[in-house]
Amino acid sequence: MSRELRPGDVLPETRFQVETGPMKVFSLLMADPNPIHFDPDFVARLGRGDRPINQGTLNIAYLLNAVISWLGEPAAVARVRRFTCRFADSVYAGDEVIAGGRVTEVGEEGATMELWLDRAGAGRALSGTALIAPP
Amino acid sequence: MSGGDATMTARELPDLDRLRQKVIGHRLPGGDFEIADYERWLGHDAMLAPPLPDGVLHPVWIMLGALRGAGVDTHELVGLAEARPEDGVLFGETTLEQHVPLRSGVRYTVTGEVTDLTRRVGRRAGTMDLFTFELSIHAPDGALAAVSRQTFIIMRSGGAR
Repeated sequence: MSRELRPGDVLPETRFQVETGPMKVFSLLMADPNPIHFDPDFVARLGRGDRPINQGTLNIAYLLNAVISWLGEPAAVARVRRFTCRFADSVYAGDEVIAGGRVTEVGEEGATMELWLDRAGAGRALSGTALIAPP
Repeated sequence: MSGGDATMTARELPDLDRLRQKVIGHRLPGGDFEIADYERWLGHDAMLAPPLPDGVLHPVWIMLGALRGAGVDTHELVGLAEARPEDGVLFGETTLEQHVPLRSGVRYTVTGEVTDLTRRVGRRAGTMDLFTFELSIHAPDGALAAVSRQTFIIMRSGGAR
């Protein structure tokens, strides 16, 4: 049964491990030639260490995964009506990221959620909001 | 390429007013796209997606599908803003609207345009141009299925944030 949301409800922390393999798949799926997602030498030449930088789309996916799972059933994916986010920091291969959030208000259109994705031990990577339609 | 020579970078920066006049309101060619079921599988595996109904695409595919149907690829898109090959390009802000979930095996049409271009200078990152465009995804019956609004950050200094 799909979860009914109330103001103050808290999205349980959900952890995801970031790896290089999925980045390579996404580079192909997105036809994205940017080497920051697969070439450690290129990242090093940018002065950004030696680990590929995760696609923003994957970071968004982790956050939405946490929300969809929390809503309680696969069909609840249709309840995600709007999602907006800003990228605060890059996420690197090898990072663990933690999705979190809470319901800030509930109106006729649905529930507004404040959402975030943090790099474990390294601060916020992404923050945003979502509008979740009623069940 | 990292930060590079600041004087050289400043001299090579494209003029913002000229760029804005050139790109804002620019209609993208548009087109169509269809996500094959094996792409759905691989994509959901890569994004660590939870179980979804058969054939239903994760909302992130709104971004991916819209870009496929934009009629230009990411490189060409930022090329409209005269991004150089050595400029780092990152997602800045993203909005997804899902009117109905997208499905694999369905051919969608896409229309879109560039909606904004602004410039910021960061203390660490240097000059960044924020390039915003909107892509609308239409179902085979013409109904609006989803909207993808993206802001790309073009790191004019050649670095990445």
